[in-house]
Amino acid sequence: MQSPELSLDYFELFGLNPVFDIDPILLNAAQQRLQASHHPDRHVGSNEQDKRLSVQIASRVNQAYETLRDPVKRSRYLLEINGATLPDDSATTADTEFLMEQIELREAVEACRQGEDALARSEAIETRLEQRAAGLAREFVERFEAGRFDEAIESSRKMQFVQRIQQQLDELQFELEDF
Amino acid sequence: MALLQISEPGESSAPHQRRLAVGIDLGTTNSLVASVRSGEAICLPDERGRSLLPSVVHYDGNQVLVGYEARALQAVDPLNTIASVKRLMGRGQEDVTRLANVVPHEFVAAEASTVPRIRTAGGDFSAVEISGEILKCLAQRAEQSLGGGPEGVVITVPAYFDDAQRQATRDAARFAGLNLFRLLNEPTAAAVAYGLDQDADGLIAVYDLGGGTFDISILRLNKGVFEVLATGGDSSLGGDDMDHALGEWIVEQAGFSDIDAVLARKILIAARSAKEQLSHGDSATISIDHAQPWQAEIERAQFSDLIEPLVRKTLSACRRALRDAGIDKQEIAEVVMVGGSTRVPLVQTMVGDFFGRKPMCELDPDQVVALGASIQADILAGNKPDSDMLLLDVLPLSLGIETMGGLCEKIIERNTAIPVARAQEFTTFKDGQTAMSIHVVQGERELVSDCRSLARFELRGFPPMVAGAARIRVTYQVDADGLMSVTAEETTSGVAADIVVKPSYGLTDQEIETMLRASMDHAREDIEARMLREQQVEARRVIEAIDAALVQDGEALLSESELSAIRLKRNELEERLESAGSDELKQLIKAVEQVSETYVARRMNASVRQALAGKQIDEVDV
Repeated sequence: MQSPELSLDYFELFGLNPVFDIDPILLNAAQQRLQASHHPDRHVGSNEQDKRLSVQIASRVNQAYETLRDPVKRSRYLLEINGATLPDDSATTADTEFLMEQIELREAVEACRQGEDALARSEAIETRLEQRAAGLAREFVERFEAGRFDEAIESSRKMQFVQRIQQQLDELQFELEDF
Repeated sequence: MALLQISEPGESSAPHQRRLAVGIDLGTTNSLVASVRSGEAICLPDERGRSLLPSVVHYDGNQVLVGYEARALQAVDPLNTIASVKRLMGRGQEDVTRLANVVPHEFVAAEASTVPRIRTAGGDFSAVEISGEILKCLAQRAEQSLGGGPEGVVITVPAYFDDAQRQATRDAARFAGLNLFRLLNEPTAAAVAYGLDQDADGLIAVYDLGGGTFDISILRLNKGVFEVLATGGDSSLGGDDMDHALGEWIVEQAGFSDIDAVLARKILIAARSAKEQLSHGDSATISIDHAQPWQAEIERAQFSDLIEPLVRKTLSACRRALRDAGIDKQEIAEVVMVGGSTRVPLVQTMVGDFFGRKPMCELDPDQVVALGASIQADILAGNKPDSDMLLLDVLPLSLGIETMGGLCEKIIERNTAIPVARAQEFTTFKDGQTAMSIHVVQGERELVSDCRSLARFELRGFPPMVAGAARIRVTYQVDADGLMSVTAEETTSGVAADIVVKPSYGLTDQEIETMLRASMDHAREDIEARMLREQQVEARRVIEAIDAALVQDGEALLSESELSAIRLKRNELEERLESAGSDELKQLIKAVEQVSETYVARRMNASVRQALAGKQIDEVDV
């Protein structure tokens, strides 16, 4: 006997529409509601089978939450449940102009380490990256909703590139602030 | 509602049936046990009113001493007195060798085991057994003050504890014969103790500087649900390090040389006492009673200088945890202080300055964790069905596997919400390959050698196929306690692999069994003996009843083969009556009962027929 929580897709599980723009408040609320009934702590007095099931469901809820919370993972998951074939993570983009921009951004992040006003300069790059990410997300939604999955995959991949640079910048800012 | 609660005159109202549950803080320096009584969490004191139990165990040839009595023997018998055993939990031979100049003990490698044992006059003991003794002592205290053994316990661990350390703690509970509801992270327990689940939603930082560990946790509270957003810290940084820093200063000032185990103890005890005095006063007197006696004054400012680097180290970990949680320190609504070392004034000041707010330290920082654990235990026991409180945790350290070239491939990232499962697919690289081995490590570094080895899993028994044809799906499951297990299946055939776990720094199930048996105290032997006697009595009764019945109507009611089947089982039982254990006897009795079921039914019918013969319907009492 399969529990529905283990077979529903992540959007169904969280009671959300299968779209890219989801309400983070609804997402968090659903996460807490689901954990409140399925977390193993709620099944301490149950039999072994029920305990095991609760671990499985709670694991799936956590996995779903993590996927839906992250824009890159969410975009990939949306494509996947709509039948698109995703190339693996390591595939790159053919858009050379975009790649040049990425290299330039990466170098700008590294350059923050040297010289005066490191933090201020890093914040300028941060704003630029945020704008870039938002633009790519809009592009993804447009392409995805028009059913142009191959192009949507390209947008998703670019979002991932930008996210990586954001993480790199984040790490750098942490080092700059640390004493 | 009140109307229903009114009792009959002369009859006391039945007490609410509560299930006994306790929370245990198994600390490096001290341990405590707490329970919720009449809705309030309290630490259970010993017969002398002390709630702390020093985490010290002393072994001699005859008995095991735990607590104050053991601690009193530290200076005179350091080799047989084990303190701070928590630092050894889940640690291997190489780790303890590194501790060789810190602790006076002699470590011995046990045969066919990865877990080192400490040599004492009473025998060789692992950290699991030593911690188990502390747990037994606390459980006994709980039993005395609650009037019954607890049905379940919640034991706290530092949020920073890795899998091996958590497994070791779980094993210690098993060794002590306790039903473990849950391993709970200490900082989460602290937030619960402060009743923050009743407060407005917000972000909470728990700063826990204990004797031997430092933890910083960032929690988010949302409608009674505590979610650990990030944890960080240092599993070998704490008040003991302050004692050591001051101890080194003493050695330097006094010019001691040739420091043996006894003197080292004395210095540390003096250092700790000075540290405690400096929490209240501006200066303290240190005196060492030794062949070369020594005495000196130390100012609080001097002490602060000595420990400032340690406190700075904790703040650096705070920054990292905040960053992992993705929040600024200004967003923190409350800072909860835990652990005896937060009594040190410099710690309170520096933490207050860092977060820009006065930290909470109203509750006794030594008791906070145990109190919170008892509240959670009470809820898990089902005593508070209306409670919304739920504690969601994250994995403290990334889990990975060893790949080619000794590199670590992360499977589950640090700070991932648990429970969590991840699956990975492997294939075979040789024709007919039926086994493979997976080395699981925990840590953040790229090289396997820089991470903590957890276990090697040997997967066996998948069907032989051409190289590359098998699809072996390996699932790594981390439960709500942060403990990992592995399952594997060949997906094309659906055959589940047999898994042999070789923990790198843990006790195997076999070892725990052996220890349990060895530690079986008299009470348990008595129980076993009583159960055996009961089964023997029952067996004799069954044999007599069968014999009597067979004489009466065995041949009339049974066929030849039925008769011999019953005799066979009956004889088996009689043969083993004196030599079998209680479990085996139970099985044999059951076998006799099963084989005679039809016979018993027939006898019943026959006797009913006989009883009814010649009677009128109306005489039969239906």
